Amino acid sequence: MCSFRQSRLMWCLIFLLGLGVFVFVGGCGSGDDDEEAQEPTPTIDRAGVVRTNADIAFAGYNDSLSTAMALQQAVDDFVAHPTNGTLQAARDAWLRAREAYQPTELYRLRIGPGPIDTLKDDGTLGEDGDGPEARINGWPLGEAFIDYVAEVAPELNEEDVLHDVVDGPDSAGSLDEPGAPMGNIIADTDMTIDKDTLKEFVEFGDDERNLATGYHAIEFLLWGQDLNARETMWTGADRDNTPGHRPVSDYSQDADCTSGEGNSRPAMICMRRAMYLQVVTELLIDDLQLLVHAWNPGGNNAGVVDYYAWYTDLSRTDVAIKKIMSGMGRMGYGELAGERINIAFRINSQEDEHSCFSDNTHRDIYLNVLGIQNMYLGNYAFEGEMIDGLGIYDVVKEADSDLAEELDMAIQTSLDLAEDISDLAEAGTPFDVQIQEMNETIRLLIIALRDQVGILVRAGEALGIDINEGDLQQDTEEDLGSV
Amino acid sequence: MWKPRPLLPVCRALFSGRVLVQAYRLFLVALVCTLTACGGGDSDEGGGMPSRGDDGLLPLRADVIDPGEFRSGGGNTVALSNTKAFSKNNPQLGFIDLAKFRSGDFEFRGQHIGLGPLFNNQTCQGCHKEDGRGNPPRDTDGDGETDQPMVSMLVRLSIPIVDIADSVVIRNGIQPEPTYGGQIQVFGGLDTPGREPVHDGSLSGRAEDVVGEAFASILYEHVSGQYDDGTPYELRWPTYRIRDLAYGPFDNDVQFSPRVASQMVGLGLLEAIPEDDLLSYADPQDTDGDGISGRPNMAWDAITESTRLGRFGHKATKPTLLHQLAAAYLGDIGITSSLFPNEDCAIFQPACEALAEEETHTGAEVDLEDFILALVEFYARQLAVPQRRGWNAAAQEWEPQIWRGRRLFFEAGCVGCHVPRHVTGEAEGSVLGEIADTLGELSQPAEPLPSLSQQVIWPFTDMLLHDMGGTCDVSREVVTPEEDTGRICNEDEEETESCWWVQHCDGLADGRPDFLATGSEWRTPPLWGLGLAQVVNERAGFLHDGRARTIEEAILWHGHEKSEARGAWEFFVGLDRSQREDLLAFLESL
Repeated sequence: MCSFRQSRLMWCLIFLLGLGVFVFVGGCGSGDDDEEAQEPTPTIDRAGVVRTNADIAFAGYNDSLSTAMALQQAVDDFVAHPTNGTLQAARDAWLRAREAYQPTELYRLRIGPGPIDTLKDDGTLGEDGDGPEARINGWPLGEAFIDYVAEVAPELNEEDVLHDVVDGPDSAGSLDEPGAPMGNIIADTDMTIDKDTLKEFVEFGDDERNLATGYHAIEFLLWGQDLNARETMWTGADRDNTPGHRPVSDYSQDADCTSGEGNSRPAMICMRRAMYLQVVTELLIDDLQLLVHAWNPGGNNAGVVDYYAWYTDLSRTDVAIKKIMSGMGRMGYGELAGERINIAFRINSQEDEHSCFSDNTHRDIYLNVLGIQNMYLGNYAFEGEMIDGLGIYDVVKEADSDLAEELDMAIQTSLDLAEDISDLAEAGTPFDVQIQEMNETIRLLIIALRDQVGILVRAGEALGIDINEGDLQQDTEEDLGSV
Repeated sequence: MWKPRPLLPVCRALFSGRVLVQAYRLFLVALVCTLTACGGGDSDEGGGMPSRGDDGLLPLRADVIDPGEFRSGGGNTVALSNTKAFSKNNPQLGFIDLAKFRSGDFEFRGQHIGLGPLFNNQTCQGCHKEDGRGNPPRDTDGDGETDQPMVSMLVRLSIPIVDIADSVVIRNGIQPEPTYGGQIQVFGGLDTPGREPVHDGSLSGRAEDVVGEAFASILYEHVSGQYDDGTPYELRWPTYRIRDLAYGPFDNDVQFSPRVASQMVGLGLLEAIPEDDLLSYADPQDTDGDGISGRPNMAWDAITESTRLGRFGHKATKPTLLHQLAAAYLGDIGITSSLFPNEDCAIFQPACEALAEEETHTGAEVDLEDFILALVEFYARQLAVPQRRGWNAAAQEWEPQIWRGRRLFFEAGCVGCHVPRHVTGEAEGSVLGEIADTLGELSQPAEPLPSLSQQVIWPFTDMLLHDMGGTCDVSREVVTPEEDTGRICNEDEEETESCWWVQHCDGLADGRPDFLATGSEWRTPPLWGLGLAQVVNERAGFLHDGRARTIEEAILWHGHEKSEARGAWEFFVGLDRSQREDLLAFLESL
């Protein structure tokens, strides 16, 4: 039923064993009540859905970890020998790492949040917001907090902009905080650059944009600002189609060091930038490792809470189903349509797109929708490795097969539209240009996502689960911290 | 500790309009009385406080547990106690509404095109840190005076009202300072790092010279007092000092009112408390003789263009959340909207006007479209209130210390203003219209919001004005590195940058009347979320200007001899240590 890596053989066996035990227990349990006994026994399928879903989580975080480690290797190579070639290799590694991570976002935002939202550094679960999510994928990024930015003024043309560099915070809100960097973290040579320091700079000064870590910080350090657009808000000029233009010389740890093309800086600045890039990549790996431990199906959690066991516990099958479906709904509309696509589209703001430095937003969107489909079908694929298990589709089909097909089609419609946007971007019209052109596909995607969550709610009803309503109490408060 | 502080010998002319001002206030008081019948004559019911209005609930008592009390926001309550405790959506929201909330959240955090020309911060979140309170700036050199710009608080301005029939006064509740308007904006510029004020910096009238209007600092003096049991305490007493005026001097009769940004939770619920319910707590003549005379503020509603009960702002000067948001967008960030379409440049600020002409949106085109404003309004209305800590749901009881503290809170009479419980009415949809489920447009009319309606909530406020005592005085004093003794500037010195504008106050007064509120009246702030204020923003202070570093200090500031809360203050300072700790444990649980 599934093609595994060798290392997964064990948990495949555990899965089959667990299924067997459940069938056995289920068999013993029935018969007390005639009415119940006459109903189909849907919980068997549901438990399988949850288990597949947990397996996909583990696979997704594991692939995120391994691609982040590959990114680390590429970053080390680049920092040691900064050339156009090694820079490109690092950028490619970052793009590949995003392919692995972005579908895992479906494990966020659930009713009863999971490890990504709640897992603390000590390996126990805390409240929503205590988890590593902001540190891993925080966005939008206050890039002026990390490194130089270009001063943008209406009267300047692009060339001038690129030569007019500012080392200073762009947010008045970050000016008056104890421990704030002078200018930015890289420019402030009195500031230590290590993991502990950068961790302190997550939402520094209680400004959510002051993030110093995660994929988007690395992205900014590899690409630089995507300046081709911001000033066109003022001049009305057409945007060009390229991402950020950070020069290799920004990493020349010698007399050639720059902060942007033509802005010479002491070698120390480039050394700090290189160190920053390496440290922040290492921190990303640490955080992903924590998640891999939490979702490890083998019970080998290295001191981290065994969330896999808790999640797949048969007493909570419907709780977990609700988590899966609420995550699909919240990511599918609240996060994706509401926060990521709509605002950028609505106000035509290049700043407000998700991966604005690398112009990779089209992949973020596509991979989020793909993640929804993964939840629904119980599928997962990454670079040839596959999981093909039970999904929400299978249990909905049991209750109402028309509804199951309807939702399948709706999700496929969203995915097709997201793919169109992605293809258009890959062919040379990135998302920031598409929003400028008010691409109709983007509007259709928002509508498709709306339709999709409407059907999703009905699917929940068919399963007897109100997935649209949040819980007041967090159900992760159940005794999990001591597991 | 409330001995009159030696005010500096300042010779100040009585402003000519005082008589008129009094007449205006009396007129408004009379208006309120006709609306409320000056009633509120319910007699107190022993052991607690009556449930007034028509909320249909049993009276609250100090000795009876209410199993719903831990859910401060009713159905709009979340189980969070970390730094995100003020940033969560109403858990009742479905996926579609959640998308509206997330869109609004994004706008609340992000910068907008059209920032400036003058502003206090570049984003909403910059002041309302993590949707919580702001804080006073830092004193980095430790000389007792703050030296960083105010970024999550600001200083409001006015002069005494001359003509009550002036439409500016009717709409603003104040007479704006002629050159600087209703508040000091510390930064100037367009979409660039904020340029701070410099002395006479924008007098040229050239757009490229636009800087912030003035620099305000706080000089903290430490004053000590003691509880009846002899335990000493220390408060920091603020004096506000303004310098580097970029557009020339203030009017001689200028009034200052420092304000720290408020927390955002539960605002949609507070907006939905029926007006009659709040007015039923009013007792402007103190007919019940309890020393507490809550008064409603009657303020201008920019949407209906009429005078209505004020709810929001430290002096209850904004009738609706939408009005409050749009006013903050304009005043604090320099973002125009359909409610306030003109940039906040005063008539004597040609440099500001010149820069405003360079914005992307000028003239009839406003910076913020109604659709975005509606998203932010939706967001602000649907921010959930964190649930109380210390409630044992299984045993249906409070931690003993919290329960003892709650009884003291009632006994002290705190509940006379900090009314614990209300029931919301029907929460109306936005006057801007309903946000389409495709997030593309607004349509009329908007449906009511059941997720905020008919909720039993525990905000601990009556939303009314109460006199906290005190007076203020503004003088011009010489401040140089060599001389900082409070000496009044002579005529020659008045033209120099070492002649600062200094406001001395006693008690909690700001000396700046606003609509019906006098210079010593404040709206009872809601107490929900109190114990998490410094979890969310560790630098958050308490009271209108963040002067109190702890909840305990905030209580101690209630004790001015003319304060309506004097009785409660006397009760508090008369407690022994363990009782004080009980009361504080209760407040920390909010």
